[in-house]
Order: sequence, then structure tokens, then C-alpha cells
Amino acid sequence: MDLESLKTRFYQLVAPSLPNEWDVEAALEPLIDCEAEHLDGIFSQVPAIWPVSHSLCFAYLSAAGPALSCLAVEELSLWVHSLLDRYESGGLREARLFMDDVEQHYACRLRGEGGVRLLDVRSRLQPYVNGLAGKEMPLVAADEAGTDSESIFLPNVIGVLQTHEHNFFLYKLIVSFQWASLRAGMYLGPEWMEETEKSAHPLDRFFSEFSEPEKARSLYHIFETARVLNFLRDELPGLMREAGTVLPQLPLTGDDAAHPNLLDWLQRGVLRGEWPAPPSPPLFVQAAALIKRCQKEGEDNRLSLEAVRELMPLIPETEVFAGTRPLLFQGVMRLQEMRNAGAKEEVEKELRLMKTMTVQLPSIGKKQLPPDAQSVNTAGRSGGDTAVIIDTDSAWEQLPPFLHSLAQRIDNSESQQSEQSIDQSAPGKSGVIDQTVSASGAGKAGQIFSRLARGPADVKTDEKIAGPTVYDEWDYRRKGFRKNWCVVTEKELTPVQNTFIEQTLKKYRGQIRRLRYQFELLQTSERFIRRQRDGDDIDFDALVESLSDIRAGHPPSDRLFIRLARDQRDIAASFLVDMSNSTAGWVGQSIKEALVLICEAMEVLNDRYSIYGFSGMRRLRCEVFPIKRLEERYSKAVRQRIGAIGPREYTRMAPAIRHLSSLFAQVEAKVRLLIVLSDGKPEDYDDYKGEYAIEDTRHALLEAKAMGIHPFCITIDRQAHEYMAHMYGEVNYILIDKINQLPSRMSEIYRTLTS
Amino acid sequence: MSTHHMNLEAYRIDTEPFYLPVGQEISIAEAAYHDGTPLLLKGPTGCGKTRFMQYLAWRLQRPLVTVSCHDDLSTSDLVGRYLIRSGEAVWTDGPLTMAVRAGAICYLDEIVEARKDTTVVIHPLADDRRQLPIEKRGELLTAPPEFMLAISYNPGYQSVLKDLKASTRQRFIALSFDYPEPDKEVEIVCKEGGLSPEIAKSLVKLAVMTRGLKDSGLVEGASTRLLILAGQLIGRGIEIKTACRAAISEALTDDRELLAALDEMVSSLF
Repeated sequence: MDLESLKTRFYQLVAPSLPNEWDVEAALEPLIDCEAEHLDGIFSQVPAIWPVSHSLCFAYLSAAGPALSCLAVEELSLWVHSLLDRYESGGLREARLFMDDVEQHYACRLRGEGGVRLLDVRSRLQPYVNGLAGKEMPLVAADEAGTDSESIFLPNVIGVLQTHEHNFFLYKLIVSFQWASLRAGMYLGPEWMEETEKSAHPLDRFFSEFSEPEKARSLYHIFETARVLNFLRDELPGLMREAGTVLPQLPLTGDDAAHPNLLDWLQRGVLRGEWPAPPSPPLFVQAAALIKRCQKEGEDNRLSLEAVRELMPLIPETEVFAGTRPLLFQGVMRLQEMRNAGAKEEVEKELRLMKTMTVQLPSIGKKQLPPDAQSVNTAGRSGGDTAVIIDTDSAWEQLPPFLHSLAQRIDNSESQQSEQSIDQSAPGKSGVIDQTVSASGAGKAGQIFSRLARGPADVKTDEKIAGPTVYDEWDYRRKGFRKNWCVVTEKELTPVQNTFIEQTLKKYRGQIRRLRYQFELLQTSERFIRRQRDGDDIDFDALVESLSDIRAGHPPSDRLFIRLARDQRDIAASFLVDMSNSTAGWVGQSIKEALVLICEAMEVLNDRYSIYGFSGMRRLRCEVFPIKRLEERYSKAVRQRIGAIGPREYTRMAPAIRHLSSLFAQVEAKVRLLIVLSDGKPEDYDDYKGEYAIEDTRHALLEAKAMGIHPFCITIDRQAHEYMAHMYGEVNYILIDKINQLPSRMSEIYRTLTS
Repeated sequence: MSTHHMNLEAYRIDTEPFYLPVGQEISIAEAAYHDGTPLLLKGPTGCGKTRFMQYLAWRLQRPLVTVSCHDDLSTSDLVGRYLIRSGEAVWTDGPLTMAVRAGAICYLDEIVEARKDTTVVIHPLADDRRQLPIEKRGELLTAPPEFMLAISYNPGYQSVLKDLKASTRQRFIALSFDYPEPDKEVEIVCKEGGLSPEIAKSLVKLAVMTRGLKDSGLVEGASTRLLILAGQLIGRGIEIKTACRAAISEALTDDRELLAALDEMVSSLF
């Protein structure tokens, strides 16, 4: 096919956009020699990529031809799916890398070969390690494996071995090994070394006693590794049995070296059980004997420490370990980070102690601190500390969840700082308990109190604004999700005091009374059911009948009992109110009146219900406004919040639906209703409109249905029939064409829906 | 109207059930029995509450009447009701009345599942009055000294609806049960599942791991009962990993990721 026809075809696909001709030509040129069948396949993916990124689409066109050399045309759409995921998580660079090596990045994986990503195995390994450790130990991506006693660090990708299974096994082995190294006490300080307040890890201090601390460190690590592997052999025999077949395949730095150094030689021995003829016998033989001793009788790290002490003086300077990489599962010892994690724990322990103390001694508060202490608190460096803490804490709430781990690490370093300040200020570590009325000690206490004083306030803000939640968005063009695409934030509506509520109550006085009566009839009823086979009491009418039946020679009934039946309504409803700009004026007014009416009527029922408003602009600022939470009472504040409902920005409906569904998923009820009040199609400032928006909303509703939630829509959009049936299904929406009927109709609709 | 009484001989336990005491529970329960105080057993599912009651009944040589409570259990299901038999109304004792009359041990299992109004009927029986009013017959039964009331519940289900009222729970002497210490659990699994100590030990390790998964989406970890079931499967010649999958993993969760993680644990251990 010639370039001209390719261009025409491309412009048709991306209409109405008109990209530069020379860009298009450059991108299409490699495709001139493609087979027609391949071309169809390649072009069919353009509509999915073009709206996401034009540059990506051009890059795709150049890469697609070569990609088809190792992919079948049918596999192309799946490949594009992964490509878009890569683009959205790592940008154009990542996507280009992905396209560059189709064979390694995609095709291998399809065949079950090649590298494994942490991303793909985390869901499986996280519960595994939690179970092993008996507590939550987050798996964090890092360049080198390791642990800081709170989390386990893992490389992003492992592709050292041939097959997918073996690489996955390596992940599992790293996790188990790191857990075991903690459990077996690899990181305990030597007994003879006193615990001091210094921030260096005791092992670090041990290593620094030697002239070449790094060598001592590597030696200690390999000795301990041998011991921990042995520990694992006892604890997790199944794992180590499999390791017996996988580990010998693991490449070593010493494999290529003509003259392996001591560490290389030991790694080989530990990993493969091979002890070839040593280059310098006495030293190597002694090291091997020591390592075997550690394996055999190593109860704790004492033997390894002794071995290091014994060997270090014997190692000549010519032995250099720098070129030897640690074993993959060994990783690096993160002693400093471990120290920080420990420090954080101690500060927390102290905080807890303080908390119990404040409960028991309620009169001690900030005010009772001596005035000079307060001045120290504000003037001294502790004052600075306090400010830092508050900053990170409030920032936490505004951070999206995927940044929380980062924030936690920042918080770690901050705790370490404050711990250091404890060390400097108070001799007995706890500047709080032995208040030796040193001014700095008191200042420290002030800091902790100020943290405590924020306690309740924190809880309040939690209630007000939960942290932002990230949701996927459905892209119908690629038949897949855009991962973590929309950020939904819950925002508080400031209650408004005005006469709106009273006026509404007055205006609809008669109607409210009728509604309440109708709703009362829906209430839970206890009633006796007569003529049952089984029940609490005898139904005498039935009994008399059956006796006379017997006398008359008819077969008697055995339904002789009365049973008390309770029809319990177990309904939870959620009203989701469109607060987009288009609801300005009497539309918004009617919606608010409808909400007041339904609330008044609901008060006589025991149904739990919540009301949320939604609006926002663009995918990163989808806002949901809680007006009444599920367990909240219909209070004055709720009424004032209803009064505060007003037009805001756009209608990106799906994130709000997903958010409410996820809240609803935690609610136990027989019937869960999601009632959406809207005045038009879903639409946002960006490209979120038309078919894309409708398909995304439809998908969000399908997800809700899959969770057992019944969505229903009340709309006032006259064009609703065109798209509503597709989104909600034929019977799950209602169009109210006279807006002033909305208040009365809405309660009626609710009643019919739930009875 | 006639009265229909049941014979409780069938409820006697003749052979000693296997029970490995983990603390003072037996002496406390015996003391409570002699003082006429009711017992409240709490603890997670499958940790040995019911087995303890069987053992106690055998030790005290009393019949054991067990009622598994459900959310439709009414007062008459416990106390009794009139039935029509060949044109005549016959009073039939419920299990509770039956136990009171015969001086047996009445064990209401998972009491929180029963309707709130049902629980109240045991109140006069559970304090020093030790009486059971049968309203429909106008009868007031006083329990003989041999009668004992015991109830159980699982505090793990953290639902507001499924909590015991203070007025109910404050009539009981409470024994808290939990999964036994690993050594004892190994012994129990060995004995009940008929396993070698090594396999039993690994099974217990697995159980301890699953119990650490509470924050990762597992409602409850593997109970001792599940371990015994797995042990029995293994004893019947089923391969260990398959037995663990069938008796433990699949019984614990439907979540695919958790199942995969459990599989990893099993493959690490065996």
C-alpha cells in the first residue's frame, strides 16, 4: 500500500484531529511494506491509542511492524493493552522501552518465560509474608533486596532465570529469607557490645572495629546467610527443597573470575555446596570450616561474629571483595534504616505511655507546664520539631494512597530526628517520666503533649475528609481500565443557615404528612400467620375445623399452628446528587426540596440512608460531598448541609458511583439501593464526554451491580431516553419531565422501589 | 392435655472424649457446677469449646443437651410447645426444659445468633433463682442442683448486632478459649488426626501463619478443627498439599489471591 492511501486511512481514523503531515508520514513510512492483514490489525488499535497520547500513537505505528514479527495479529490488542498500562504508569519513556523489545517484554511472558515483575506477584506474596511474620510487612520496591525490620525490599523485576516459575520462586525465596534473617536474629548486636544511645547499629560499630569494615561486613553476611538458610531448612522444608533445584542455577560473580576471591569461593560453597580446590589453602579451608560450623551449630549470630573476628586478621590485603555482588536473595544489610525503624517504634511506645498517663491524670495538660518550659518549647529546636510533625501529618491526608509509603519513610526519618533530640536532652531516654525538671526535658514533654493534643482533632478531620481514593476508569476503546485514573476526594459542605428548610417544610406540609403515613405502612410488621404446620401456638380455629373434619370423616389438615412472622426491612439506600453547574436555579431548588421531603419521610422508617453530592473538574479533582452519612442522624447539621447544596462544576459521574459503591460494599443489608439524581449526561471539562463518558458510567454501574447494589436513576433530562436505557437498563431509570413534580415523585419512587 | 417427656439417656456420654486441658478451665468449670453457677465459653470457632463441654459432661456424669442457636430460634423452641397428637393437645418439652427436669447440662451453642427476646428466657435460670417459668402451662420449674447451664459465643464476629447483652453476660462465669499453644496443638492434632508429630508440627505452623492474616483479609485463621480434618485426610492417604488445599485453604477463603498465598505457604512448609 502506498503512503498516500495509508495517510488517508490514518486521517479518517483520528478525525477530527489534524496532526502534522510530516509527523504522520514519518510514522507511516515503515508500514508501506506491511501485508494488508497486518495493516488492518495495526490500524484497528489506533483509535484506542490516539486519544491517550498522540506521540505514543506515532511511536506505536513505527514499532508495530517489527512487533508483528514475533506477535500474531490477534495478540496485538493485548499487547497494546499492556502498552497503554505501561504508558500510564511510566510515561512515554517506559512505553518506548516496552515497545523496543517486544520479545523480552511481552512475548516471553506470554510463553511463561522471562522476567517477573514485583507488581504482578505482590498480591500473592504480600499475604504470604504477612502470614509468615504474623504482622503486616509491606513489600517495597528497591534496587537491592533487604529489610529494615518493618518492610521487605524487593527488586522491581527478576529475570535472572529462564522460566517465569523460577523467577517467581526467587521472589518467594527473597521474602522468606529476609523474614528468616529477622527471625533468626541476624541483626542482633553482639552480646558484649553495650546498647548505647548512639544512633549507629551495634553491628556497624562491630564492623568499624576492623581496619576494613566493608570486608568484615561482607564476611559476616555470608556466614549468617549460611546459618539462615539452614534455619529455613528447618522452618520451611518445602521451600528449601525447591531451592535445592533452583539455587544452583543462580549465576555468581565468581563464575567468570579466573581467580575467585574468598567471598566468591564461599558464596559458591553456600549456594551450590561446591568446595573446589582453594587458591590459598589455609585461609580458605579455615573459612570453610567456620562456615560449616555456623551452619551446624549456629543457634544465634555469635558464631558468625567470632568467625569474622578469627578470619579478618588472616585475610591479606590483596583479597578484594569489592567486585563480588551479594547473592540475589541476600541483598544488602540495611543496618542504619533498621536503627531508624527501631527508633520510630520507641517514640511510638513512649507516645502510647504518655497517652495512658494523660487518661489517668486528666488534670495534667499543656497549661500546667511550667512557663519556662513552654518558652523553651517554642523557642528551642523542639519547637521546630513540632512544626515538622504537624506538617507531615496534615499532608498525609491529602496524599494519594500510593504516596503513603513514601510519606511513611519521610516520617521515619523525622522520628529519628526527634529520637536524637531525646537522646540529647534527657539522660534517661524518656524525657517525660523522669522529668528531672531540666528545661529541655520539659520541652520534650511539651512536644509529646502537643502531639497528643492533636489526637482528637485528628479524629475529627478524619471524619470530615477521608484521604483521597484512586479509582480506575473504563476506556471502551481499548476495552480495559485506565489504572488509578481518577482521584476522588471527600469534601465537607459548609452548613448554611437560611430559611430554605422551614419554607420547604411549610410549602409541602400536607404532602409530608401523607408521605409519613404512607411510609409508616412500610415499616417492619409483626404478624401472626395462621394455619402453619409448625409454630409457637395452637391455632384453635384450625384445630376445631380439623376435629370436625375428622368427625365428618374427611381427612384433617395438619396446619394447626400460629407462627409469629417478622418482616424485617433490611434496606440501605444511598442518594447521589448531581451538583454540576447545570443544576443552577430551579433544578437545584427542586432537588433540594426533594431531599428534604424524602428525609422527612424516611424518618418514620428504619431504613438506613445516606446522601452524597458530587461534582469536580478533571480526573484528578473528582469531589464527593457527604451530606448525610449512612449512620448519621437526620440532624440540624444535615438539614443545613442540604441547604448548602449548590451548583459547582462538572458531571464526572462514574468516579462518584465507584466511590459510593466501595463505601456501600462494606454495608450489610439485604437490599442496597443507589439512587442517582441527575439532570443530564455525564460530562467533564476534559475529553470525558459523549460515548466515552456514557460507557465509563455504564461500566461503573455494572461494577456496582456486581457488588449486589441496585442502581436507579431519576433524571430530568428530556433526552434521557437516548442513553439512559443503555447506562442503567430499561427499567432502572425514570424521567420526570415536570421538574416541580420531583419532590413528590421521588418519595413515591422510593416507596415503590422498596416495597 | 397430657405431657410428653423425653428420655435423656441417649444424651449421656459414656466414653471419655479426648480433651487436653490448656489451663485451669476444668477446675473452674467443676467449681461452677458445684456452686450452681452457669458458664460462658467464648473463643474462635473450632478451638475446642464444644469438646470441652463434652468432656465436662463425661466428667460430671451428666447428660449433655446441646442447642445450636440460629436467628429464628424462638422461646418455645427452647422451652416447649403444645403439639396436636391424634386430636389432643400434647405438651412437649423443649430441650432447655428437658435438661432442667432431668438435671442435665444444657449447652446453648453460639447464643448470640439467637433472637434477643429468646436470650432473656434464660435469665431467671442463670442467676441464683435457678428457675424456669413455663408460661403456657403456668408452671414454674426449679432446677435441681445437678442442672448446669452453659452458653458459648465467638467474640470474633465484630458486629454490633451480634453482641451479648450486659444483663445476660453478667450472670455467667466466663472461660475464654483460644487456639492452644503450638506444642499442645501439635499434641492434639497428632492424637485426633492420627498423624506423625513432624507433619502435625508443620500443620500447626501453617495454622499460625493463617492466623497472622487477619489484617490481610482473612476473617479467621485456620482452627484446630480444620487441622484435624486435614490430618484425617492425610491419614486416608491423600497427598499433603492436596489435603491442605481441601481442608484448610479452600475452607478459609474464596479470594483467589489469598488462596494463592496460602498455597505458597503450604508449598514452603511441606
